[in-house]
Amino acid sequence: MHARTTALLLIAGLVIPSIGSAKSGDGASSSLSFERDIRPIFQTHCFHCHGEDGVRKGGLDVRLKRLLVAGGKNGASVVPGDGGKSLLLQKLESGEMPKGKEKLPFHEIELVRKWINAGAKTLRAEPDNPEDVLISEEDRLHWAYQPIRDPKPPAVEGLRSTNPIDAFVGRRLADNKLKFSPRAKKRTLIRRAYLDLIGLPPTPEELGSALSISHGELVDRLLDSPHYGERWGRHWLDVAGYADSEGYTEADTERLWAWRYRDYVIGAFNDDMPFDQFIREQLAGDEMVPFPHKEMSQDKIDLLTATGFLRMSPDGTGSGGINQNEARNQVISQTVQIVGDSLLGLTVDCARCHNHRYDPIPQRDYYALRAIFEPAIDWKNWRSPRGRAITLYTDADRKVAADIEAKAKVVDAERRKKIDFFIERTLTWKLKNMPEKLREPLRKAYLTESKKRTDEQNKLLKAHPSIRQISAGSLYLYDREYNVEIGRLNREKGEKLKLLLAEAKKKHPKEKIDEKNLAKFDAEGAKALAEFDSKMKYYRESLAKKVMDKMAADAKAIRDTKPEEQFIRALTEVPGKYADTFLFHRGNVDSPKDKVLPAELSVVSLPKNPIPVNDKALPTTGRRTAFAKRLTDGTHPLTARVLMNRFWMHHFGHGLARNPGDFGRLGEAPTHPELLDWLASDFMKNGWKLKRLHKLIVTSQTWKQSSTRTQTLEEADPDNHLLARMNVRRLEAEAIRDSILTVSGKLNRKLFGKPVPVMEDEVGQFILGKENLDGERKPGKAVDMQGEESRRSLYVQVRRSRILSMFNTFDAPDMEPNCTQRSVSTVAPQALLFMNNDFVMQQAKLMGERIRNIEKDDLDRQMRIAWELAYGRFMTGEENMRATKFLDQQRAQFTERKHKEPAKAALANFCQAILSSNEFVYVD
Amino acid sequence: MKQNSILTRREFLERNALGMGSVALAWLLQQERLRANPAKPELERPSFDTLPKQTHHDPSAKAMISIFMQGGPSHMDICDPKPALDKYAGKDFPGKIKYDNAAQASPKVLPSFWKFHKYGQSGMDFSDLVPGFSSIADEITLIRSMHTGVNNHGQSIHAMNTGRTTRGRPALGSWLTYGLGSFNQNLPAYMVLRDPSNLPVEGVLNWSSGWLPSLYQGTVVRARDPRILNLEPPAELRGKPQENYLGFLDDLNRRHANLHPGELDLEARIASFELAARMQAAAAEAMDISNESETTKKLYGIDKNETKDFGTRCLIARRLVERGVRFVQVFTRNQFWDHHGSIRSSLPASCTKIDQPTAALIKDLKTLGLLDSTVVHWGGEMGRLPVIQNDTGISRVGRDHNTYGFSMWVAGGGFKKGYIHGATDEFGHKAIDKVVNHYDYHATLMHLFGLNAERLTYFRNRQEQTILDGQPGKVVTDLLA
Repeated sequence: MHARTTALLLIAGLVIPSIGSAKSGDGASSSLSFERDIRPIFQTHCFHCHGEDGVRKGGLDVRLKRLLVAGGKNGASVVPGDGGKSLLLQKLESGEMPKGKEKLPFHEIELVRKWINAGAKTLRAEPDNPEDVLISEEDRLHWAYQPIRDPKPPAVEGLRSTNPIDAFVGRRLADNKLKFSPRAKKRTLIRRAYLDLIGLPPTPEELGSALSISHGELVDRLLDSPHYGERWGRHWLDVAGYADSEGYTEADTERLWAWRYRDYVIGAFNDDMPFDQFIREQLAGDEMVPFPHKEMSQDKIDLLTATGFLRMSPDGTGSGGINQNEARNQVISQTVQIVGDSLLGLTVDCARCHNHRYDPIPQRDYYALRAIFEPAIDWKNWRSPRGRAITLYTDADRKVAADIEAKAKVVDAERRKKIDFFIERTLTWKLKNMPEKLREPLRKAYLTESKKRTDEQNKLLKAHPSIRQISAGSLYLYDREYNVEIGRLNREKGEKLKLLLAEAKKKHPKEKIDEKNLAKFDAEGAKALAEFDSKMKYYRESLAKKVMDKMAADAKAIRDTKPEEQFIRALTEVPGKYADTFLFHRGNVDSPKDKVLPAELSVVSLPKNPIPVNDKALPTTGRRTAFAKRLTDGTHPLTARVLMNRFWMHHFGHGLARNPGDFGRLGEAPTHPELLDWLASDFMKNGWKLKRLHKLIVTSQTWKQSSTRTQTLEEADPDNHLLARMNVRRLEAEAIRDSILTVSGKLNRKLFGKPVPVMEDEVGQFILGKENLDGERKPGKAVDMQGEESRRSLYVQVRRSRILSMFNTFDAPDMEPNCTQRSVSTVAPQALLFMNNDFVMQQAKLMGERIRNIEKDDLDRQMRIAWELAYGRFMTGEENMRATKFLDQQRAQFTERKHKEPAKAALANFCQAILSSNEFVYVD
Repeated sequence: MKQNSILTRREFLERNALGMGSVALAWLLQQERLRANPAKPELERPSFDTLPKQTHHDPSAKAMISIFMQGGPSHMDICDPKPALDKYAGKDFPGKIKYDNAAQASPKVLPSFWKFHKYGQSGMDFSDLVPGFSSIADEITLIRSMHTGVNNHGQSIHAMNTGRTTRGRPALGSWLTYGLGSFNQNLPAYMVLRDPSNLPVEGVLNWSSGWLPSLYQGTVVRARDPRILNLEPPAELRGKPQENYLGFLDDLNRRHANLHPGELDLEARIASFELAARMQAAAAEAMDISNESETTKKLYGIDKNETKDFGTRCLIARRLVERGVRFVQVFTRNQFWDHHGSIRSSLPASCTKIDQPTAALIKDLKTLGLLDSTVVHWGGEMGRLPVIQNDTGISRVGRDHNTYGFSMWVAGGGFKKGYIHGATDEFGHKAIDKVVNHYDYHATLMHLFGLNAERLTYFRNRQEQTILDGQPGKVVTDLLA
């Protein structure tokens, strides 16, 4: 895996003019208004120093036109109708303002000039207090904050599909004089459906069976597959920021129990849990489970597990050597960020330090949102990751464990006794080498408690460090000394023995004499030898490490028989306990300002704030329960839209709005706003059922189109905003690996469970495997993974600092804290991986073996099988000729190189080429 | 420009993937775009690369070869003579001392077994152990006052190599390649020549990119095939078989691309295999020393058993730097310099292995005109104590760890020539004059590369992280030419 060598950036996607909606403000100068056209520019660049937080540099506040005209210390800033006399314009043009590197782009300065020259108009009378326009009328008109409508699917002439999706898409196509592309071939659709819905290519058997049923039946079958939840659960885990480690610090401590949340997500998708319920459980499942959280049934456990969603953000607070306040606050803010990205589709985090520069999210709103979560993530009453873990131990487990612990303690006690013995031995031995007169004082000094030692004793010990430093922890060092002694004695004994035997033989030439019967002939000599033995025995008995290690291992072995204590990584509140939330001045935790009450974002808020400070009906505050209820009440303008857009993106490669995590001013507006709304309202009306939505999308004419580009389409809509064809898409990192394993036949289809560990190999790449390092981090023997190494990629441990190198190479996300949209790069290290990587070559070999097991000798058949396995289609005649030639070439090469099995090697290499090919890693 | 029409493969390649120039240009344009729209919420992940970067100021150094001597070479036996050791020979050390190995600890002072002489115009002292070093005295800066202050190998290695004693931070080479990029996009920017026998202490963490993007991790050249994982095929595929494979694959991909006219990603992926093949060829060429002259090979000691391996790796290091690789680190085997015992016989063996090849590297770089722009570093993570360890006879005595004062040398790339910096106390125990901490060393190195160590930052945990990590690292101007 070569993520880590060299990158050569190949810019694959070129800059192509966008067909997305135009931004406002391009109209005639007479219609320019402060509220709609100018204020957003100032909000982005100027408010920070001229208006916000009581800061008015040069006495100037630019938040209202009226205040601009009034001006600051240098007089009027804007002279309506006369840009030339307006100080503001001069400052902008000269680049004096804004301060810092980032200046206003030319077109924005022009806009300001035109607006001033046209009389510096406002749309309405301005309020007395500039604070009252944190959210303007114009802000509220932004598409994403409008109520979700339920538009009627438009009529489209000649459209045969009755699927409403096709009506909306067809309408826009017709308006742009375009038509749907033809339907893709059946085999193409089968492969597309498999990879889209379950993330695995069809096996030849599945393909055969799929060919005999309708597309709709196939979709049902795939949605029923347990692999569906794995595929679509993984998508959700991206935006939730799923990881098996805490991140934040270099240690990147492992999260041992996060996988339960991963399994909960897979299960929820497979069960087609209504998505509103899914959201409520993730945000507030804990408030549905009564205290105490003990001896719980599975459904209660699941509800608590669901809140793992709010425990996915990096959390370094369990580690030392960090600024706790900063680390804690980062946990809160990143949790809010994950909620914002996944359910609100807004970059709320940008309002943490100041009012949002682009969107109508005042800083106060940010802290109101934060207040919803703060009772559970209270930085003043912090609970470390370990402290938050909820045990699944039952009382019965506890009893069994206690009995086992008692047995282990017996071994511990024996071990301690043994340590005392070793220390005494070593002390005596070391003292023996000291001058007679020092022995007693040294022993006494050593045995005296260090605080009670006299100066003289300290001095004595300092001069004899090898005695001073004898301790349980250093005994292993003295083993080396003993071993040197044993070696010496052994040598001396050998020499002596040789001598004695020679002498004895001289005296008794006819006898057969060896060490065993020497005593018969030379009693004294034998005795001398025995003395060596007894000395060596004494030293051997003094060797501490082995014995101590063994006893420690024994104790551990006993403890290992305890029932495993499992935990849930959940978010809970401590009943009856919640602290106030404060707005932090410029985001600084050390500068708390006003107290803020929990509330949803103002721009989408209901007339009456539905979030209680403390819901008396619940033991905990109920803030999250109320928030979840509001998000799923069917009237929230963001939730369902954001979800529909996200799901659409996973089906088509792009969302209808192309920035799934930013529905604000900077994100692209949806290309099909009516379709987005229709999907959202249809989804909510029909029980928030995701599988129903999948079926609707995947059986639409839109989805079933061919992906081929044509000259007409390229000229009209190169980026495919209008959806006149399907998009060709590269598989994600996980799907590439899963596809390879499927085709090689090695995929382990087991569901759920603990993550498959990732370790460093000998050069530092991250591969699957159990770490086995010595104290100096040198690798030991490889640990047998027992088939776990072939499990689906979503079960591979997501340790933030150790992303599997193969995944990293293919753009797997860094969870810092989450990923709203994956990027796709095409770089040389990916090619190198397919050319030379161990995993790829091994899987290619396995694929070759699999093929030979089906067809032993017939080369032609072998090639055809490979084609169907990998591409799900028949080989063409031309392909057949080319492949035959290649296999002949390789066989000749390997024969020439005296390869043991040239035919096998050639077939393996042939499979490697197939796995490397574009057709395999892209979906049509 | 008919930007929206369907491009043929040739058109695509002409525009986008022919050679580095156009790729670099595309990248620059992209950066320009990013710069034009600052302070926005991130819509896309930032991308990273190893293309050359703008430095903070004009650099004097462009590349670096670090000859890392893990284990701790005994400075008072090699390059920091201490007559006081002879005076106190066998007597108790008068000060306080911290031992690593308790069982064999002894307070008795151990004088050096070797004779020292002065060399070069500066009169730099070297013992008889390192005749090669003696011959380059006029080229190097000898620092006698190094200090990390943590007495374990692992922690001190991390201090020298990553800036902090803790595990998990990016290596020096990662920082440099992150900040500077590389001149050759066909070779990894940061390469590691490990010892054939085993991994150094702390294993692969020595070249880990920590939390910097993995792109900046060191790429290891192994002693066995394939020498660079993923960048070299196994022997059975090397040459013709892999050429055939690439040809067949190219054919498959072209057929597929023909069915998808205008699908630029497919064309890009085809080009990426061509590029990969070029990188592979470049790596093989760089590591192949068969075209080097016999004189050069002899200079590095490749003709002799005891210096063959290390000499070859030093020569490859030179070849890599010559080809634009930014940072090369050469390692000795695990604890090669950790002379706790039998120092009298084992230290000479260690010195012999590295002395001639290292000196050859300096001479060779100088001849090629590369020394002025290439920093060469020779040193480890610690030195050794002035007292005896394992007091069981003269052939078995050794020296324990010492990170409070030790020596290393640097040359080229803007370091002074023929200069001795700082000093340890009269026993060589602690650095007392002009102390250079690991973070000072890093700040100085960065400075030579045109970087300000405080300003080369990576944003993580809402903070701008630096190699110094808040430690008071200062550019040691005395070291600069």
